[in-house]
This record gives sequence, structure tokens and C-alpha cells, in this order.
Amino acid sequence: MAERVAPVPAPVGKVRLGLTTRLRAVTLRSEPIRGYALLSPTLGLMILALALPIGLLITFSFWTQVYLDFDRSFTFGRYIKFFTNTEYSKFFESWYWISLALAIPLFVPAFPWKRRLGALLIVGYPAIAFYLIGLSVEKAIYPMLLWKSIKISGAVTLATVVLAYPMAYFIAFHVKKNKLIWLILITVPFWTSYLLRVFAWKIILGYNGVFNSGLMSLGLIEEPFMFLLYSQFAVVLTLAHAWAAFAILPIYVSLEKIDRSLLEAATDLGDGPVARFLRVTLPLSMPGVIAASLLVFIPTVGDYVTPNLVGGTTGIMIGNIIQSMFGKANNWPLGGASSVISMIAITALICAFLWLTKRMKRQIA
Amino acid sequence: MEGNEFLDKLASGKIRRRDFNKILAGAGLSLISIPLISRSGKAAVEDHPLIFTWAGYEEEGFIQNYIDQYGEAPNYTFFGDEEEAFAKLRAGFKPDITMPCSYKIPQWRDAGLLAPIDTSRLSNWPDCLEAVKNVPGIVVNGQRHWVCVDWAQTSITYRTDLVEIEEESWGLLWDERYAGRLAMIDSLIDGVMVAAIYGGAKDPYDMTAEEVQRTKELLQEQLPLLRFYSNDMTTVQQALASGEIVAGVTWNDSALWLQEDGVPVKFMNPKEGAMTWTCGISLQADADPAKIDRAYDLIDAMLSPEAGVYEIMEWGYGHANKKAFEMVDEADLRKRGLPKNPEDIDRFLASGSFQAAIQNEPELQMMFEEVKAGL
Repeated sequence: MAERVAPVPAPVGKVRLGLTTRLRAVTLRSEPIRGYALLSPTLGLMILALALPIGLLITFSFWTQVYLDFDRSFTFGRYIKFFTNTEYSKFFESWYWISLALAIPLFVPAFPWKRRLGALLIVGYPAIAFYLIGLSVEKAIYPMLLWKSIKISGAVTLATVVLAYPMAYFIAFHVKKNKLIWLILITVPFWTSYLLRVFAWKIILGYNGVFNSGLMSLGLIEEPFMFLLYSQFAVVLTLAHAWAAFAILPIYVSLEKIDRSLLEAATDLGDGPVARFLRVTLPLSMPGVIAASLLVFIPTVGDYVTPNLVGGTTGIMIGNIIQSMFGKANNWPLGGASSVISMIAITALICAFLWLTKRMKRQIA
Repeated sequence: MEGNEFLDKLASGKIRRRDFNKILAGAGLSLISIPLISRSGKAAVEDHPLIFTWAGYEEEGFIQNYIDQYGEAPNYTFFGDEEEAFAKLRAGFKPDITMPCSYKIPQWRDAGLLAPIDTSRLSNWPDCLEAVKNVPGIVVNGQRHWVCVDWAQTSITYRTDLVEIEEESWGLLWDERYAGRLAMIDSLIDGVMVAAIYGGAKDPYDMTAEEVQRTKELLQEQLPLLRFYSNDMTTVQQALASGEIVAGVTWNDSALWLQEDGVPVKFMNPKEGAMTWTCGISLQADADPAKIDRAYDLIDAMLSPEAGVYEIMEWGYGHANKKAFEMVDEADLRKRGLPKNPEDIDRFLASGSFQAAIQNEPELQMMFEEVKAGL
């Protein structure tokens, strides 16, 4: 651009430049400002669409709902409610005794300070854990529900990836012509709405649905299977189907990228098909598998539509209760706290998962 | 520039940048101006009030008089339940008329959503039943924020061929013989209150701490016996028709429609008392002043005896207008479990437990959510 670099060095101190010109000179000289300015549309969108809502959510979570309004004073009350399902004051009453018990190692004079702190940790962590578990048995419904959601989503992820892998493998290695058409075929079920796909499973799994009436007309069963619909099984199955494309595509891409000569080399060196798959293909396709797992796991933990429609009384997940906190129960702060805790829990799990896969990779290599 | 000429030039790559931009701008301008043009042509639609209501209430039978008067229906937009509607209204949605049920009125009024209604502007108001004029909690400081349109009951619809009971009681929903084949409505008013009434709460809508505890225990006891909680009456009706469930909480219409389909069901009159609900219509505080006259005409149309006959015959609900009952055969009324004579209707309404505003609603809702989650 012509105006960016002055062709002739400006005579210093003689000509006063306009404010805008000087401002432009300053901003253009600074690398970071130029970078951010270039990024600004994307950055603005990110802030508006992602950072702002999460910021609001976090802010809410430290407030208290009072009928139709909020008490805006800062409190951890909603977080304590989430973990213990007890009110603030009662929690600290018992907490007082716990902290006294925890402090006991500090008063044992025989040990040096380092050991005392060590003992505090050794006694302290299990004590806190047991305390929370003790409360959990009867009361901590929200952590239990979160754990249940994570388990259901874990099952969904496993089922999706295991079912998607052979499909992706087939397209990557055995389809020679018209790969694009095969890929489009895979996405065909996703041309209809998410809700329709869930309802389709209701029709298949229902009391007098396709599956049950089929088995009955074959004379294999007398009474329709009740466990098919309105159960955790139904939730896992429906979600696994609904998210299949998100698993197939990344796995396909990573399989497609594998250098075929590596497979030939493995065969030449005496590996059978199974050993070759386990030692070459699978490790090299791990990035796809990991991406697929994350793409399926993260959104399904918070899903509430599917459990609502096919989960019955046993398939309820954390998303359902958060939804009602923001709706029927009209308790936005508790909903905010539950969302924040869910986000943190999922992030922690993902980090653990990535760390584990990294370690495994190193062991294989 | 002719259309074909443009295409030829575009294809051959000879088009000038300025010409191309002119055409793009023209296309964009015409796209933007389409809504403006059509709006001026259909001014009448803009003059009709916007009603925010339950899906299903857009049937013309409810407002035939209004349609006769103005030649077309007003504008509709729908909610699935009142909590959803409340959240939307609080977020700034501004319809002219809403249709909540009576027990929601105190909360909506507190939130400043409702405007007072002048009943002297409603020609059908004098014909309305005494009991529905006096629904508790509606008139505050002499101001009425809601008028009743219809009423019916919440009770159990059960399969007479699959259930054996000695007397009709809410206890059927706790009967272990039918474990896994029962259903409840997924709401505070039609779900939790059922447990409260069965548990013998003195005033289910204003329970003491012990009564809340008892209700909670009953709900916990019931959870493993249920096939599902559902707000979707079609799901419940289909499940009853197929025999997937043998009993479920419904309103009058489900039982009526199933009977007309030849399914052997009965709408229970439990010994603990059924719940009576009344739903109606409210003017919004932010209603467009230019549409108020039409809004009153619309409310009046909903209260008319003709609308009442339609509602009794097609939905099996009772109506606010007593004249509607005179226009329907006694046999048809009996089939729907409705009385004929106005005094009987008033007595009937007074005998049930009128759904009132629930005290401690947020805490009860959280309790309900926790029970459903398996606490």
C-alpha cells in the first residue's frame, strides 16, 4: 500500500503531520496491533458468541435467585449446593468440625514441618473425599447425575467410534471409485433434523414399534420388550446413531492419509493382516479416533433432547436438570453453577484422555 | 443490459467490474425491498392482535365470531408450556394477548406482564358461570387481570379391560401390580400436585414442610413404577391405546378422543377428588394500544356460547359461558362427564380442587427435578 511507507523520509520537526496520519503511523508500526486488527472480525465474533455468554454464565453462577430477581452479592452458595445439596450455613457448620479434625497433624510436635504438611495432605484428602462421599450417598444428586451423564456419553463415544471405524476403513481402503458418493451417502441420514432422527428411533424401539412387532410376528417373543425404549440403552443407541457422521469423517481422513507403502513394508517384514492392523494402521489412525471421540463425547454430555424423548425415568442426564433450572425451576444461578462445573469436569476429563493417549502412543513407538 | 447479454458476457469473462457490481447491487436492493412491498399490500394482518397461546388453540372454532366479524383470523404464536412462555415474555417478547391458566396469574402479575381487563366491554361476561368468575387469586385490588375461557379436570385415564380396581383412587398410580405401565404428566401442577392430593395434603397448593416431605417420598416411591413422565399428550394417548401403559394422568380430551377411537378407557373420578383447572386469557401490559379494541372482540368471541359448544363437543372441556351448556344435549354432556344445569356446574366446580398458584414453586420444582433425577 502506498500510504503505508512514506517514499521520502519526512523532514523531522519541520512539518507537523495530521493526527490521523500520526495515529496510523503508530498503529502500523506495531506488529501486535496490526495482527489484532487483521484478526478483529473473527476476534469480535468469538468474543460476542463465545466469551460473552460464558462470562455471563460464570457471573450468574455467583449470584442468588430471589423469586423473579437476582441477589447480586457474590457467593459460592450455588457451588456448594451443587456438590452437597445442602444450604450454605449448614455446610459450614459441619465444615468447622472437619477442618478441626484436619488440623490435628499440624499439632503433632514430633514431626518436622514438612512431614506435618505431608501428613495433613495424606489425612486431608481422604477426609474431604469421605466427607463429600458421605454427603453424596443421600444428597449429592448433581455430582451423581453428572457422573451418570459422563458414563452414558462414554458409552455413546465408545459405541460410535467402534461402529464408525469399520465404515471409515471400508471407504478408505476398499472403495476405489466414487469415494465422494460414498461419503455423501454416509451423511444422508443427517439431512433430516436431529429431532426426526430421535423420533425415528422411538418408532423403531417402541412398544408396538418395528422391532417389537417384528419379533412378535415371528413368534420369538410373547410380550413386547419394554427395555428397548425409555431406558439408558435407548439413549446410548439414539445418540450413537445421531453422532455417527462426526466419528466417521475424521477417522476416514486419518486412514486415507496413511502411506500405503508402510502397509506393504509391514507385510514384507512378516506381519499378518491382524498384526499389521494393530501395529501400523491403528496407531497411525489414532489422531482421527481421538478427534472423533472428542467430537462425540463433548456435545453428548450436555444433551437433553434425546434423554427427554427416549430416556424415560432412568435415562435423565445433567442437561435435563440444567435446562429446567433455566426454565421451569427458574434458578439461573444454580443452572449457571451446574454448567460451569460440567464444563470444568469435561475439560479435566478431556485433558486426562489426551494425556493418556499421548503416553500410550509413546509406549507403542 | 439484457439478461442473456449479461450471462454471455459473464461466461466469456468480458464483463466489466463496475457493470457486475451494478447488477449485484440491483439484485440486493430488490431482495431487500420485497418484504416492504408485500407489507403495504397486506395492511390488515398488521392490525390483528398477536396471541401467544397453547398449540391447538388456533382452531377456528374457538374464535368463529371474530372471524365472522373481521373476515380473517388473528395472528398466533405458540408455547409448549407456561414456563417456556414466561421465560420468553420476560426476555422481552411482546404479544398483545396471552392464554395462561389461572394458577400462573399471580406470578405473571408480579412480573408486571399483565394489564387489567374491563369486563364491561365483554358482551358475554354476564352469561359466565359464577364459579369461574370467582376463581381465587385473580382479582386483586378490584382489578381483574384474566378471564376464564374453559375449565376441565386433571385425572387418571385408565384401560377398563387391563385394570382391576375396587374403587377409583389416585392410588392406582402407586399400584405395584402395574409397575412399569403407569405414566404421569411432567409438571408441577399436574404431576407433583397429584402426589400431594394422594398424600392427603390439606391444601396441596400451599403445603407445610411435612406435607412436602410426604409428597417427595410418594414421588420417590412412584418413580420406579412409571414408564415415563411426559408433557406430550399424544405420547400418553398412543401408549394407552397400545396397552404400553394401563393408566396415566390426562385431561378430559384424551379420554374423550380415545373413547371415540373405540379404546376401552375411563376418565376416573378419584375418591380423593380430581383437580379442576381453568385456563383463560389475559391482556398484556405491553399490548399495542391500537389493537386493544380488537383484542376485546377476540376475548368476547372466545367467551361466546358458540365457541363453548365447539369446545364441549370437540375437546370435552367445560366452558365459561353457561349458555353453551343449554345448547348441548344432555347425553353429550354426560359422555364428557359434564353436568347440564348451571347450579350443578357451579357445585361441580366448587367440589373439585381448583388449581391455585403454588406457594414455594421454585423449591418444589427443584425437588421434583431431583426426584426425577433419582434422588
